[in-house]
Amino acid sequence: MNSLAVNLLLCAPLLGISLGAAAAELPSGDEIARRINARDDGQWVSRNLTMELTDRRGKTRVRNTRGFRRYYGEERRTVLFYLSPTNIKDTAFLTYDYPDESVDDDQWLYLPAARKVRRISASDRGDYFLGTDFTYEDIKLESKVSLVDYRRKTLGMEVVDGHETYLVESLPVSDAVARELGYSKVVSYVDTGIWMNRKGEYWDVAGNKLKTIHIKDIRQVDGIWTAHRLEVENHKTGHHTVFQFSDVDYEAEVDDALFSQQALRRGL
Amino acid sequence: MQAITFPERFFRAVTAHPWWVILLSLVLIAAAGSGIGKLTRDTTSDAFIPKDSPALVYRDKVEEIFGLKDPMVIAVVNDGPQGVFNPHSLELVQWLSDEVAALEGIDPERVVSLATENDIEGTADGMRVEAFFEPMPTSRQLSLAVREKVMDFPLYLGSLVARDGSATLIVAEVLDQDQSKEIYEALLALTEKAPVQGERIHVAGEGAVTGYLGTYIDRDASRLNPVAAILITIMLFIAYRSLRAMLLPNLVVLGTVAVALGTMAHAGVSFFVITNAMPVILIGIAVADSIHILGQYYEEAARDPQLPARQLVIRSMMQMWRPITLTSLTTMAGFTGLLIASLMPPMKFFGLFAGIGVAFAWWLSMTLVPAVLTLLKVKPSPAFKAAEPGALRLDLYGRAMRSLGTWVSRNTLVVLVLAAVLAGVGLSGLSRLQVNENRIDNFRASEAIHQADTAINARFDGTSNLDVVIEAPQTEGLFDPERLQRIEALQRFMETLPHIKGSTSIVDYLKQMHRAMNADNRAYYRLPEDPLLVAQYFLLYSASADPTDFEEEIDYDYRTTLVRAKMDTGEFHIEREVVERLQAYLDEHFGDDLTANLSGRVNIDYHWIRRLGESHFRSVGVALLLVFLMAAVSFRSLSGGLLALAPVALAVLTIYAVMGFLGIYLAVGTSMFAAIAIGLGVDFAIHTLDRLKYLVGEAGMALEEAVPNLCANTGRALLFNFAALALGFGVLMTSAVPPLFRFGMLVAVAVSTAFIASMTLLPAMVGLFRPAFVFGKKPQPTHLQTQE
Repeated sequence: MNSLAVNLLLCAPLLGISLGAAAAELPSGDEIARRINARDDGQWVSRNLTMELTDRRGKTRVRNTRGFRRYYGEERRTVLFYLSPTNIKDTAFLTYDYPDESVDDDQWLYLPAARKVRRISASDRGDYFLGTDFTYEDIKLESKVSLVDYRRKTLGMEVVDGHETYLVESLPVSDAVARELGYSKVVSYVDTGIWMNRKGEYWDVAGNKLKTIHIKDIRQVDGIWTAHRLEVENHKTGHHTVFQFSDVDYEAEVDDALFSQQALRRGL
Repeated sequence: MQAITFPERFFRAVTAHPWWVILLSLVLIAAAGSGIGKLTRDTTSDAFIPKDSPALVYRDKVEEIFGLKDPMVIAVVNDGPQGVFNPHSLELVQWLSDEVAALEGIDPERVVSLATENDIEGTADGMRVEAFFEPMPTSRQLSLAVREKVMDFPLYLGSLVARDGSATLIVAEVLDQDQSKEIYEALLALTEKAPVQGERIHVAGEGAVTGYLGTYIDRDASRLNPVAAILITIMLFIAYRSLRAMLLPNLVVLGTVAVALGTMAHAGVSFFVITNAMPVILIGIAVADSIHILGQYYEEAARDPQLPARQLVIRSMMQMWRPITLTSLTTMAGFTGLLIASLMPPMKFFGLFAGIGVAFAWWLSMTLVPAVLTLLKVKPSPAFKAAEPGALRLDLYGRAMRSLGTWVSRNTLVVLVLAAVLAGVGLSGLSRLQVNENRIDNFRASEAIHQADTAINARFDGTSNLDVVIEAPQTEGLFDPERLQRIEALQRFMETLPHIKGSTSIVDYLKQMHRAMNADNRAYYRLPEDPLLVAQYFLLYSASADPTDFEEEIDYDYRTTLVRAKMDTGEFHIEREVVERLQAYLDEHFGDDLTANLSGRVNIDYHWIRRLGESHFRSVGVALLLVFLMAAVSFRSLSGGLLALAPVALAVLTIYAVMGFLGIYLAVGTSMFAAIAIGLGVDFAIHTLDRLKYLVGEAGMALEEAVPNLCANTGRALLFNFAALALGFGVLMTSAVPPLFRFGMLVAVAVSTAFIASMTLLPAMVGLFRPAFVFGKKPQPTHLQTQE
């Protein structure tokens, strides 16, 4: 009895030290963010994207698109052409994202039935993207993270879909940023080997659980780790979004001319 | 020795084992009362509608399809020259929007106000979607610019912003409707501390109404019940001037209320707005039985002071069990009328559980009251003094009642004529009676919620929804411009109906987008003609919209859509006209490849209030029939049954007279008065007839002698019985909930009429018709004859 107690007492400081050591071994939140952003995601990419949108009653809209992206330094240009369903076929959406926060992004939409390209004003970062459960900020960052919007803390480790991940909690740096993004907290599960998110959980500005993004089917294409399936569940509305990527190609150079109003009109 | 009857054996047994009887009563009360903590509140308007009502079932389905919820609505009103379009009011809107979004239980993404919404504006090369408050309108000039933008946005006029600019709304969706009460209170607290400079803030909406009622039910109940109990205790003191006469009836009351509410809780039935009236009513009813027993007890004690307690109790009970049982049965008959004939679940449950309460009050009066009295030493009441052994001296109340009796027996013709006149007035009142209901009239005009509703109805399109659900035969069927044009035509028609000032549907959004895509040219504020363009506009809208943004307007398949009109009144007779005319339009213009069905609050109200009159007269009929049957059976006489009905019939007619001439509508709250008044009012007639039958038929008195005698003794007890009921219902008149007030007033009027008629009209009618059940029996040797 006594000896057990003594042993425990003796071991206590040692246990404390070893726990502390384990915590110290976890990379900091900022370190993890840096590693994520250091990952190569190709100067350009072309791919097919199927959006599957399901409302809380189980009604589904499926939209097939072909999309292109290219970096011009820090500037990012994307274009998305709708292939089906028929009534929105050839509708196209072009975006220029500028690195300078103070400059509004540019967006154009081509509606074939009106035969007009229309400039539409920049969306807020927290606005939803084309009827999906992703916000413009989610789409813009793609697999990257923002270094200025959040303060990060590594909470521990967890296994997601059989992979070791770091559990990172991100809190917006201010209420204003939280309102802009629509999030008061994000918890991410970052793969320890390839520095990619495998899962993200989001809370709205009032602290209600908002949505969960699940990143699946991550495999290398042209040497670049690529997520092929993104699943989002909105916990408040019951709405779901599935993004399914296919024919991902980082090698074939994406033509500059694609990112123009003429290209929108011309179509694919 | 004579054979002992069952009642006598029963009371001998009860008084032989008083402690066991008391213990049994307490166990029963505790067992039933233990459930009270589980009682849940249901203050929704829907609670009054049968769950299987087709209009309600359909509305629930529509709410499910379109994800509709009852939002909280905050109105900011400014009657200054610029209305709300001044820097301070707009800043207040921003402040309220932020604070509301941060409240627990509110969905921050579903807060809609000028501060959260975007202006969609067409430009030369495209479309600009920008927040109205971008930049924040900090100057008078910027505020007026916001006004200009908003006034050019037809969708928001009348719905989000008053057409004259004097007010604007902040609409917030609640995550869990069960939290309405807490959220409503939090919103009120928020408006208290809002930085106001000349603005007025109102909180309204269906959710707010429900929340408000929750708060007020509690506040009302915690005031009404103690007041009723105290008043009745004071009355008991006046009647008997003894401690036991004050405490014992209260014990019965406590047990009765505990059992009624406890069984309700055990049965899983909710506490509705009108359930608040039940404890107060039960207090009045439960105390009546004790009043009659105590009256007899003190009378016997005064007459024979040497009688041991147990003998005294048995003798009193033997006199009283029959009328008490009979009156309990007839009161239950009244409640049964509600139970089986009312269409509204809260009324049905009211009838059922009040009936259970009455039954238990009877049981306690038959067991607990004699058991306790047996244990107490006989102490005469100062109110009952014996002038000499064997005789009784009447107190003030007894003498007053006797004078009334003497007057009646000498003026039967006057009594009969007065009654006939009253009945005539009642019939003419009945012909003026209107079935109507206006939910907001359930609140006093001085209440915040009433003022909020009035303000919003006056400045916006209205607070009552009238919906039309349009369904196309196939998915994406609503991209068809021809169909959309029919919906547009329907909206134009709806706006011609009385009290409909505006309507919205997906058509309005499409027109707005069409205009914006064409450089804001007003000529393009119309539906596009190309179905592909309709489809692409929906995609365009989604460019920056929440995926569930259109959920409340159109389903995900673009097949079913909701047209919502707002009415600025909730008055039934207007709703009826609107619904019937709209239905005729729908029958004529829809039903081919586009079906159209009515829904929304207005349609539901129409469908169930339409049956309110029918429900009311059915419950009156059933109550009258049951009361007649019971009286007829117990007097073994048809004429006995008819006579017992006379005072209550007159009482009900008097209520109709009051309602007809004061313009009180037959509404939800007032519709249940009659059945209850019949069940309660008939008690006086039964006691009167029972006593007359005894005095004339058995004691062999002449009617002229019997009537003053009847009034002096039975009449005295009935006077206090009446006082207890009148106090109970009178207390309801202090309720902050107007339907309870009106209900209390009408029943009080009815009970008074029934009491007076039983003391006057009934003896007069007995004299006129000389029914066999009173006069038929041969005079028998008297015993226990009361002397003056």
